[in-house]
Amino acid sequence: MRRSYFPFSRISIGIRLVVTSVLSSIIILVGAAFVLSEIYRRAAERAFDERLYVYIQSMAASIASKNTANAYDPYGLGDPRFTLPLSGWYWQIRIEGSVPQNVFSSLSLFGGRLPRLEDLHVPAHDGSSREGYIIGPDERRLRLVERALELPDGARYLVQIAGNADEIEQTIQNFKNALWTAFALLACVLGVFTIFQVRFGLLPLSRLSSQISSIRRGLSDHVEGEFPDDIAPVASEINLLIESNRDILERARTQVGNLAHALKTPLSVILNEASGQSTLLAKKVREQADIMRDQVNWHLERARAAARAGAIGIATDIKPLLAGLQRTFLKIYAAKGLSIDVDCPDDLRFRGESRDFDDMVGNLVDNAAKWARQSITINAMALPVVDGRSFLEVVVSDDGSGLPAEKRADVMRRGQRLDETVPGSGLGLAIVADLAGLYGGSLALEDSDFGGLRARLRLPSL
Amino acid sequence: MRLLVVEDDRDLNRQLVKALGQAGYAVDSAFDGEEGQFLGETEPYDAVILDLGLPKIDGVSVLEAWRVTGRKMPVLVLTARDGWSDKVRGFDAGADDYVTKPFHIEEILARLRALVRRATGHASSDLVCGPIRVDTRAGRVLVHGEPIRLTSHEYRLMSYLMHHIGRIISRTELVEHLYDQDFDRDSNTIEVFVGRLRKKLGVDVIKTIRGLGYLIEPPTTL
Repeated sequence: MRRSYFPFSRISIGIRLVVTSVLSSIIILVGAAFVLSEIYRRAAERAFDERLYVYIQSMAASIASKNTANAYDPYGLGDPRFTLPLSGWYWQIRIEGSVPQNVFSSLSLFGGRLPRLEDLHVPAHDGSSREGYIIGPDERRLRLVERALELPDGARYLVQIAGNADEIEQTIQNFKNALWTAFALLACVLGVFTIFQVRFGLLPLSRLSSQISSIRRGLSDHVEGEFPDDIAPVASEINLLIESNRDILERARTQVGNLAHALKTPLSVILNEASGQSTLLAKKVREQADIMRDQVNWHLERARAAARAGAIGIATDIKPLLAGLQRTFLKIYAAKGLSIDVDCPDDLRFRGESRDFDDMVGNLVDNAAKWARQSITINAMALPVVDGRSFLEVVVSDDGSGLPAEKRADVMRRGQRLDETVPGSGLGLAIVADLAGLYGGSLALEDSDFGGLRARLRLPSL
Repeated sequence: MRLLVVEDDRDLNRQLVKALGQAGYAVDSAFDGEEGQFLGETEPYDAVILDLGLPKIDGVSVLEAWRVTGRKMPVLVLTARDGWSDKVRGFDAGADDYVTKPFHIEEILARLRALVRRATGHASSDLVCGPIRVDTRAGRVLVHGEPIRLTSHEYRLMSYLMHHIGRIISRTELVEHLYDQDFDRDSNTIEVFVGRLRKKLGVDVIKTIRGLGYLIEPPTTL
C-alpha cells in the first residue's frame, strides 16, 4: 500500500473547509472579544473617573471659598455614602507643607488614610491629576483620583476621592457576559453558513462523484450535464477516458473476431480437402485440424473474454437476451420438437457485456438442448444482496439423462487440460465456468427436478 | 434441387460447390454480398448457404434484405464467429440453421437435407410414394427396395418431384430448379429426362398434365 506522506490527505474537502473556517472564525471572534473588552474597560474607567473628578471639582470649589461649615458634609458632596463607615466611597484632603501633616477625610474613612498615588509612582496628567487603583482600609479595591491644588494665597492641597472599584468591574463583567453571548451566537450562525456554503460549493463535485459511481454500477455510460468551469475539464476527461476504454476493448474484440475469421476459414478448407480422401495423411490432417479448431476456439474465447473483462459501466437487460436465445434454440432444435420455457423478471440487469451473457447462457442451453428429451426451462431471478453486492441467477434445467455427480467437476475443469479433450466434445461448460469466474460469478451443476441436469449460473447484477 | 453458395473464400466456395454437386444438387455460387443478394432475389433457389462475413454487403444484411422482399427459401448460415450473440442475430435476421467454421462437409450436407425436407413439409429423409422410395441421405432411388441407377440430372428431377409430391410442377419450374445458372437450358431436355425416368423406374408414377407440367400423385390410402 502506498504510504501517505501528508497525515490529513484522506480528510474530506468538506471537513477541511468547515474545520479551517470554523477555527479561523473562533480565533477572530475570541481576539475581537478581548480587544472589545479592553476598550470597554478603558471607557468604563474613564466614565468612573469623570464622576470622581466632578466631586473633586466641587470640593476644590468649597476649599477655595473656605465654606466647610457642615461637619458631616463639609464640601457639600451630597452623597450619603461618604458618611457611612467603610462604604467604599471616601474623600481626603491633605494640606501640603504643614507639619505635622494636616489631613481631613470623610467620615466613611473611619480614621483611615488614603495613600498618595504620587508615592505609588502613578504618572500625572494635566500636570496635577492622577488616577489609579489602590487597596483601601477595608481591604477593598478602590479607584482613586487625586488632584493637587494651589490657592492664590499659596496654600497647597492634595484632594483625593476614592470609589468602590467593584462598580467598574460589575459593568465590565456585564458587558463581557453580553459580548460573549452575542459572539457565541454569531459563531453558531457563521458555522451554519459555512456548512451551507461548503455544501453548496461542493455540490457539483458530489454530483460528479455520484455520476461516476452510477457509471461504475452500469446505470449510465457517460458523465452528463453542465459542470462549473473548474471541474468541467475533469468531467470531460472522464468521458474521454471511458470512451477510449470502450474503443480499446472494441478494437481488441474486433481484432480477435478478425483473427477467428482469418484462422477458421482456412481450417475449413484444410478439413474439406482432407475429407475427400482416405489416405493416412488425410486422416492425420483431419485429426490435427480438429485439434487446431478446438485450440483456436478455446483461446479465442478466452481472449475475447479477457478483452471484455474490465469494461467500465456496462449493464444489460437480460430478458430480451433470454428471449433471443429462446427463439434461436427453438429454430435450431426445430426438428427435435423441444419446448423451451423462459421465466425472467422485467427489470433484471446483468452487470457486464450482452455478448458474454449470450455466450454463457447460450452454451448452457445448447448443452441442455443436446441432452433434453422434450423440454428445457430457463429461470432467471435476483438473489438476495450480500455485502452490498447483488447477484442474479440463471437456472437452466433439462429433462435429459443427467450427469453423474462424479463427472460434473470433470466437465467444468476440462478446459484447463485442453490437450485431453476429445475433438467435438465442446468446451461449452468449461468456458461458461471460466467466463462466470472472470465476472466474479460461478457455475454449479446439480440434478434437475425433471431428472436431467440443472445448471445454476450466478452472475453480478445491478 | 438448386442451391446458392455465397462464400468469399475461393477455396471453400469451390469445395462446397464440388461437394454439393456430387451430392446431386445444382449449385450457383457468389463471392460477395452484392452478387449473393442479387442472385437470391432473382433466382428460385431451394436453399442457400450463406457466409456471414462477406465483402461489400455483410451476410446478415443480405439475409434481412431477402426476407424483407419475401424470399422464403431456407438459409443455412456459415459463420466463423461462434458467439451466441452472432447466432441470435443470424436467426433473428431469418436464418434457418447455422454451421460454425471450421466444419466437416458432411455436416453441411446433413443440415441442408433437413432444411429442404422441412421447407417442403417432409418428416423423414426417405420420400416414399407407392413402390418408389427416394433416399435423400444416400442420394439414390429404390423401386420395390431395388436401387435404380440414375444420372445426376435424372436423380435431381426425381428428387424435386418427390419433394413436391401432390403438386403440379411446370417445365419452367423444373428447369429453374434442376440446372445451375451457367447451364445451357432447354426445356425440351426435361421431356427426354422424364421419358428416361419412366423407363428406368418401370412404374408410371410421373403423370403429364397437358399444358401445365408434371405431377407425382400421393398414393390414395383406403
